[in-house]
Amino acid sequence: MLFGLSCLTFAISHVVPGDPARLAAGPDANQAMVDTLRAKYGLDRPLPVQFARYLRGLAAGDLGESLRSRNAVAADLAQYFPNTFELVTLALLLAVAVGVPLGMLAAVHRDTWIDQGARVLSVSGVALPAFWLGLMLQLLIALHLGWLPLGGRLGLTATPPAPITHLLLVDALLRGEWRTMADALAHAALPVVTLSLPALASIMRVNRAEMLETLQQDYIKTARAQGFSGFRIVCRYALRNAMIPTLAMIGLRYGWMLGSTILVETVFDWPGIGLYAVNAAVSSDFAPIMGVTLLLGLNFMLANLLVDLAYGWLDPRIRRPGLT
Amino acid sequence: MRIARCLSCLLTLALLVLAVVPVAAFERVGDKKILVFAGRQEVPTIDPSIKYDWSIRMMQQALYDGLVKYVGNPPEIQPWLAEKWESTPDARIWTFHLVKNAKFHNGDPVTAEAVRWSFARTLKLNQGPAWMLSDFLKEDGIKVLDEHTIQFTLTQGYAPFLSFVPWWYVMNPKPVMANEQAGDLGQKWLTDNEAGSGPFRIKRWQQGVLYEIEAVESYWKGWPSKDHVGGVILKLVREAAAQRAALLRGEADIVEGLTPEDYEPVGKTPGIVVPNFPGMTTFGIKMNTQKAPTNDANLRKAMAYAFDYDALLKIYNGNAVLQTSPFPNATRGHIAVPGFPRQDLAKAKEFLAKSAYPTGGIELEYVYVQGLEEERKMGLVLIDNLGKLNLKVKVVPLTWPNMVGRGGKPETSPDLMAVFATPVSTDPDAVAYQYHKNSWGKYYGSSFYSNADVWGLIERARTLGKWEERAPLYAEIQKRISADAPEIFGMLANRRWGLRDHVKGFVFSPVRFTGEVDLYPLAIVAK
Repeated sequence: MLFGLSCLTFAISHVVPGDPARLAAGPDANQAMVDTLRAKYGLDRPLPVQFARYLRGLAAGDLGESLRSRNAVAADLAQYFPNTFELVTLALLLAVAVGVPLGMLAAVHRDTWIDQGARVLSVSGVALPAFWLGLMLQLLIALHLGWLPLGGRLGLTATPPAPITHLLLVDALLRGEWRTMADALAHAALPVVTLSLPALASIMRVNRAEMLETLQQDYIKTARAQGFSGFRIVCRYALRNAMIPTLAMIGLRYGWMLGSTILVETVFDWPGIGLYAVNAAVSSDFAPIMGVTLLLGLNFMLANLLVDLAYGWLDPRIRRPGLT
Repeated sequence: MRIARCLSCLLTLALLVLAVVPVAAFERVGDKKILVFAGRQEVPTIDPSIKYDWSIRMMQQALYDGLVKYVGNPPEIQPWLAEKWESTPDARIWTFHLVKNAKFHNGDPVTAEAVRWSFARTLKLNQGPAWMLSDFLKEDGIKVLDEHTIQFTLTQGYAPFLSFVPWWYVMNPKPVMANEQAGDLGQKWLTDNEAGSGPFRIKRWQQGVLYEIEAVESYWKGWPSKDHVGGVILKLVREAAAQRAALLRGEADIVEGLTPEDYEPVGKTPGIVVPNFPGMTTFGIKMNTQKAPTNDANLRKAMAYAFDYDALLKIYNGNAVLQTSPFPNATRGHIAVPGFPRQDLAKAKEFLAKSAYPTGGIELEYVYVQGLEEERKMGLVLIDNLGKLNLKVKVVPLTWPNMVGRGGKPETSPDLMAVFATPVSTDPDAVAYQYHKNSWGKYYGSSFYSNADVWGLIERARTLGKWEERAPLYAEIQKRISADAPEIFGMLANRRWGLRDHVKGFVFSPVRFTGEVDLYPLAIVAK
C-alpha cells in the first residue's frame, strides 16, 4: 500500500506545472543558477531515474531533502509531526470523551430535549467550517474575553522542556514543568476544540444510531426482565456492542484528522505537518510532500490496525471465531 | 473523595492555564524590552549567500552588515562597513575602505579578507543574490589591498554595481568554515546559525514557530537610541485576522500583511498607528507579446486604454498611486512618460479597429495568484472594461508555482497575467532589465517583451559610468517600453504596517521588500 502511495504521490507531484528548481532559486535567479540547483537535486535526470533514486533512498530511510528548508525531510517531519500528533490525539480524546456519552444519552432519551440538543450539536459540528469556527473562537475567547491565547504552541518567552518524547505536553509532564504544561494546554485548548467538533459530531451520531439498534436487541430486553439496573444495561451491555461500529468511525476519523489539520494549524499557528505540507506544496517542493503523504498513510494504516485489534478486545466472538 | 481531588486538580490546572495567558504589550526579559513582530512568512534560511525575500532579508539585515546600506525615503546608499569608496570613471574598478572598529559577534575584526571571502562564497555557491553581480564580478576580480581595503575589478564597466552591494552581507569565515560539512562552505550550518557583525545576534531559532534575536549591546556602530529594543521576536502568525487580533490585544507590536479593509479600522484604534508610504512594488497585467492574440500590439494598446485605472485605487481604498512609467517612482531616472495610458474608450476602440480583431469577439485568459483577493477583483474590473470592446475575459486562479510555470514559456504564458514585482535596487537597470531578453522565463518576464532597440539601450546604459550619460537612455527606454504596451501598467500599492504607538524609530525605505522593516533603529518608549 505504501509503495502504491509513493508511486501515486510521485506521479502527481511531477505532472503538475511548475519548476521546483526555479522556485527554489528565487524569482530573480538567472538560468545558470536554476541549472545549478536542478543538477544538485537531480531534477535534471529523467523521471524514472529520479523515482528509482527516491525509492533507493526510501529503503535506506532517507526521504530526501527539502528544496525550501534545505533540511532532510525526515528531520523536518521529526520536528513537525509530534505537534500534529498531539493536536489530533487531544482532539480525538475530546471527541470520544464527549461524543460517546452524548450519543448514548441521546439514544437513551430519544426524542427528548437531550436528543434534540445533541442533534443540533452534531449538525453544527459537521456543517461549521473549521476555519470559520477557529476564527470565531479566537475572536470571542481570545480577543474579547482574553481567557486563552490567540495561537502558537507556547507563550513567546516560554522555553519548551528538554525533549524526551518530543511531545510537548508529555515532556512537560515527565519533567514536572507544570507551568509550561499549563501554558501548552492553554495554547492547545482552542485548536483542539476546533478540530474535535466534526469528529465529535460523527462519533456521536454513529454511537446514537448503534445504541438505538442495540437497545432493541433481545438480550437487552432479557437483561431488563432480569432486573438489571438501567445504568448497567446501557453502559455495560449495550455500549460495548454499540462501540464496534463507533470504533471504526474513530479509526477513520483519526486518519482523516491527521490529514486535515492544515486549516486549524493555519488559524492557530500550530507548527505541524499540515502547514509544512502546504508550504511545500506552494513551493513545488516534492520531497516533503511525498514524505508527509507516506507518514500520513502509515499512520492511517496503524490506526486501522489498532481499531481491528480493539474489535477483538470488545467482542469475544471476533477474538475467538468459534464462539457464538 | 477521589472525585473531589480530581476536580481540585483540574481547577488548579485551569487557573494556571488562565494565569499564563499573555496580555502585555511588549515582552520584558529582565530590563530588556523585546519587540514582537507578527509576520506571515517563515525564514527557512538566513544564509546570506543562499536566499532572500522580505522575512529572510529582514533577519539578515539585523544579523549581518554590508559594505553599504540603503537608508530612508528616497533610499540613499550610506557608508556602513565601508566608510568610503571610489570607482574609476568607467565604473569598472571599485575600491572600498573599511571602518577599523567593526567586529563580528565572536570578537573577530571585520577585515578586507572576510569581505573577499564572503563575496567569493556567494559567487561560488551561485544562489540567492549571486545573479546581481555574477555577470560582471568573478572571484579573481576581488583583491585585498590591505587589511581594511578591498578592490573589485569587474569584467566590464557596470554602473549599478554599488546599488546591489547593500544586499551582499559580510560573513566571518572562521566559524563558517569550522562548521563546514562535506565541502558545503558552511551552508548547512548557516541555515539557522549566523556569523555576522550586525546589531543583533540569534537567541532562539524555532523553525516554523518563532525567531528571536537579541541586541548586541556593544555593536560596533553604536545604537541610534538609548531606548533601542533589547531584542526582536519574529512570531509567525499566518492569518490576517489572527494578526489583527494579536495587534489589538497587544500580543504583537508590529504586524504586516493585513488586508486593505483591515488597515482602516486598525489605524483608528487608540494606541495603534499605521505607517503608510508609497512603495516600489509595481502591479501590472503582463500580456504575452509572443502568442496570438496578444502579440497584436494594437489589441494590447486597446486593452491598456480600456482599463479603468481608478478601480485599482478603489481596490486599495485609495492607498496606492498609479504608475506613470514602467519604472516605479522611487527609481532613479524615473520620468512621467507623456501620454501614458489612462482609460479612454474612444482611443481603445480606435486601436481595436486597427488590430486583427476589429470587432472583438475573442476570449482572453487572465491568470492570477489563487487567494489574492485584490488580484481577483482586478480580474473582475478587466471583465467589465474589456466587455465594452466585445472582448471576453476568463479569470483563472492558479497557485504561485503553477502560475510561474505557465509564465515560464511563450507557448504557455497566459494572455494576461497579474504580476507584482519589487525591484531589488533603486538603480533603473534593476527595472529596465526586467524587459530584457535575459528576463524571459522569470515571472516578471512573462510578457516575453521583444524589442532589439530597447535591449540595446538597456545593455548600453548599464555599462556607462556617468549618470548624465545614462539618464537620457533610461528616459528613452521608459518611453519605448510604454509605446510597445507589453503590459497594462497599473499602480504602486502603499506599504503599510500596524504598529503599537510605543514603537518608535520606524524608518521607511521603499527599496525594502513588502513587509520588511529595518529593525536596527527601532526603539520602545513605554508610557
